[in-house]
Amino acid sequence: MQKKICMLGGFAVGKTSLVRRFVQSIFSETYLTTVGVKIDKKSVAFPDKTVDLILWDLAGEDDIGSFRVSYVRGASGLVLVVDGTRAATLAVALTLRERAEAEFGAMPFVLLFNKSDLADRWAISDSEINELRQLGWQIYLTSALSGEHVDDAFRQLASMVTK
Amino acid sequence: MTSTVDPISLPQAASNDTEIDREALASLLVEIARNVDPDYRARFDGVPTADPRMETLRQLLVGREISELSRVTHLLDEPEQLASAVGGVLPSAAARAPYAQLGEALAPAVERAVQRSIQKSPRTLTDILYPVFLPAIRKSIGEKIDQTFQSLNETLRHIFTWHGLKWRFEAWRTGASFSEVVLKHSLVYRVEHVFLINRNSGLLIAHVTADNATSEDPQLISSMLSAIQDFVKDSFNEKEQSGLDTIRFGELRLWSEVGPFATLVAVIRGNPPEELHEIIRDVLLRIHDECSQALEQFDGDSSQLAGVETQLQTCVELKQEDSNQGFPWLVVAAVLLVLIPAGGWFFLSWQSGQRWQAYVSRLSTQPGIIVAEQKMRDGQFYIAGLRDPLAADPQSLLSGTQVDPARVHSHWQFYQSLEPEFVLKRLTASLGPLDSVRLSIVNDRIIAEGEAPDTWIDRARAAARQLSAGGPVFDISKVRDVSPEARAAERWQAYVSRLSTQPGIIVAEQKVRDGQFYIAGLRDPLAADPQSLLSGTQVDPARVHSQWQFYQSLEPEFVLKRLTESLTPPKSVRLSIVNDRIIAEGEAPDTWIDRARAAARQLSAGGPEFDISKVRDVSPEARAAEHWQHYVSRLEAQAGIIVAQQTARGGHFYISGLRDPQAADPQALLSGTGVDPARVHSQWQFYQSLDPKFVVKRLMASLAPPDSVRFSIIKDRIVLVGEAPAAWIDRARVAAQQLAADGLSLEISELRELTPQELTRLREAIQAVDIFFDSGKAVPGPEQLPVLDKLANQLKELAKDARKAGVTAQFMLTGHSDAVGRETTNASISAARAETVRALLKKRGVAPESLLVRGAGTFEPAETENSRTGSSANRRVSVTVNFH
Repeated sequence: MQKKICMLGGFAVGKTSLVRRFVQSIFSETYLTTVGVKIDKKSVAFPDKTVDLILWDLAGEDDIGSFRVSYVRGASGLVLVVDGTRAATLAVALTLRERAEAEFGAMPFVLLFNKSDLADRWAISDSEINELRQLGWQIYLTSALSGEHVDDAFRQLASMVTK
Repeated sequence: MTSTVDPISLPQAASNDTEIDREALASLLVEIARNVDPDYRARFDGVPTADPRMETLRQLLVGREISELSRVTHLLDEPEQLASAVGGVLPSAAARAPYAQLGEALAPAVERAVQRSIQKSPRTLTDILYPVFLPAIRKSIGEKIDQTFQSLNETLRHIFTWHGLKWRFEAWRTGASFSEVVLKHSLVYRVEHVFLINRNSGLLIAHVTADNATSEDPQLISSMLSAIQDFVKDSFNEKEQSGLDTIRFGELRLWSEVGPFATLVAVIRGNPPEELHEIIRDVLLRIHDECSQALEQFDGDSSQLAGVETQLQTCVELKQEDSNQGFPWLVVAAVLLVLIPAGGWFFLSWQSGQRWQAYVSRLSTQPGIIVAEQKMRDGQFYIAGLRDPLAADPQSLLSGTQVDPARVHSHWQFYQSLEPEFVLKRLTASLGPLDSVRLSIVNDRIIAEGEAPDTWIDRARAAARQLSAGGPVFDISKVRDVSPEARAAERWQAYVSRLSTQPGIIVAEQKVRDGQFYIAGLRDPLAADPQSLLSGTQVDPARVHSQWQFYQSLEPEFVLKRLTESLTPPKSVRLSIVNDRIIAEGEAPDTWIDRARAAARQLSAGGPEFDISKVRDVSPEARAAEHWQHYVSRLEAQAGIIVAQQTARGGHFYISGLRDPQAADPQALLSGTGVDPARVHSQWQFYQSLDPKFVVKRLMASLAPPDSVRFSIIKDRIVLVGEAPAAWIDRARVAAQQLAADGLSLEISELRELTPQELTRLREAIQAVDIFFDSGKAVPGPEQLPVLDKLANQLKELAKDARKAGVTAQFMLTGHSDAVGRETTNASISAARAETVRALLKKRGVAPESLLVRGAGTFEPAETENSRTGSSANRRVSVTVNFH
């Protein structure tokens, strides 16, 4: 079983670094700047099946206008990545999701607040996160440095897209 | 039962409004509920049917349905209304209908409709389908054209090769067209991978790989491929549904075929035929046919599509490899056996014609050759034309064409081609090749570039002038004149080579940089001075930087020079160089030979050979000669011996010269010199040496000086000191006068006269006596006679005493006169007076031989006188005594 997953997020939120340690990849990161997308694979094993998440790591853009929405076609789920030290990136991630869903319909997603290791510069309040959780969203505080919760997030997303 | 609701008004309200009148319904229901009271129910057995409220309720509940029903019934009854109603829902109905059933149901109708439309007006449908068909047709035609070109390419490439011949035979054998056979053999390819990719999500549906082919994770590759397709499509705003059609990377090609739900990508290594597109497309179509639904609903789970792999497998099996299938040699041999004899002659004549034509066309294309005429007759070939001497030799061009030279009759006239190529060749030949100048042809102009001396440039300029008439332009403006440097460098090289040839100079390194000359090396101090060699070379000494280190050259010449200086060979030895050996010849004493031998030993290490075997040892004679020379110089140092001549000959010594008898005896001097007296032949002549020593010896012998006289030699003067008798002193005086004539001085002034006492006294008495005369008289007066008598006695006594003392006394009688009268008279009268006295004394017994006379005239006056009166004292005769 394989699923196309798009990773969306603003500029420099750490998408690529976040997954680097957890995925199989054969393409270099220059694809991101040339083609605008880099494709990695993350296999998640469940007792009854194995899900291959084909991760489309889309080049992060703060300019929403230049977002290549066509790359999202056929995606089963989204990974939204927010830089926890820059509040503005949350809005960017949500806008990107809206763009994707407007084009291709609603789809499951997980929301990752990245750079959780930078506690002193953290810019997102717990209440804000709790509000979002209230909406039933799957939210994870991740760190590319420690790898904290990254695997959990993918596992969660894999189970969501294969339901 | 009471009701506040007006039952009539209800349906009206309801009919006016699609909504149920909820308020009315609610009050009715309350009413009903009130009525459905158990008491009420107990009183009435069931609800009476004629209850008007029921009608109201019915109106309320289904009143709208009733009116709707009547409307629908009306609608169904009226075909036009029904048609418009169905038309309203038909699209959505069709959309919701199951595809298969709808398709089946519609197919005949659509077919008929299309048929009808085409019959009616084909153009309409053509217009409709045009946008659909055009890309497909375009693509198909494109592929067909590609295929044709490919086929043409390959056919052309192989048409004249051995393969081509083989394949032509194969085409004939198999009945296929030649180009097909060519493609079959030349297009070697292999489909290594086939990816079936979901068009929507880019997820891999299936992947099949050929044996031995490897690739990275196909899932990632398929996603990336579709990402790239999207990228291209987005980037260039390409609206067309087909995606990237071909990606080529070196040997590898990615061909993709796009279907409605899936894209098939074939990775092909090699040179695939264009037909392969069709094959791939067919496979994709088949897959779509078979699994259309599964493809459409693909959500990442490919287990539903297991069957497609077998389809893909057929693609992967596609390949074309050079086959080495067995060749039907026997058939070929049989055919050849039949064909060869029949076709042989035709072939040969055709071939020779072909070859000739090939040769002629080859000649025609040769620059510098113009074929004016050519023909073939009776198997002979004739050709005539013009050729540049620099053009290729037509005869040599024959070789390799297989045209028999013996059958070729050529007639060429020479001409000078003005094609730049030839002009360039001629220029190169005439100007002389110069490495630093490059001639090239640019736009039919000959351009010389580089550096050259002015002589070359002058020649080139002359050549350019000659060319200007009709020929190509010869541009030498880009040649830099390097004469001054070149000449300086040439001179420098001449100087360097001059130095290099100099014996004793080794040039280790030399270079020219920035107009300065640097030279370094070794030089023998005896070699020529490099600085002085510069003169006359025209190399500027100020630009020469030399660095010489001294060394000893082992060149025979230099070794000879050094040997000459260090050994100082005697004159009898000659050193010379023969075949790089230094040879000493001649005679030398053993001491010299010993030193030469030592030098030869030193030289033996690396230096030239020093051969002294030809030097004869002459030591005994030399030593004898040395002894002789020693003797001779001893003789020469001897006073009183003058060596006039001496030679050594044949071991004998000859000497001649003068010797004073008083000198040492040469014979006696021989002793102790080591010269053998028997081999000495002397010839001496006596002479009187004027050496003061010898003079003294001789004087001693001849004068026999008394003991009281001493001889001494003071600076070539002989001085006599001491006392001697007056007579001896007189003799000594004579000797002194004689010696003075020979240039020697004998001084006797230091001698004191030695006279006995009585003699002196007597002499003084005698000398005090004067005989006086009267004026003018030569005879004394009578008064003078007693004086004369006394004088005579005194003289006789003195003479006797003197004889006793061993000396002889002599008496000088000197006559004087006064100054009166003439001088001559006075002179003669004075002499006469002395003669008279002598005679008077002789008469008185004085020995006449002891009496001498002289006339002194007026010159020795006894007193100064008055010349007028005269003086009697001056008229006299005086006597002086001398002892001998």
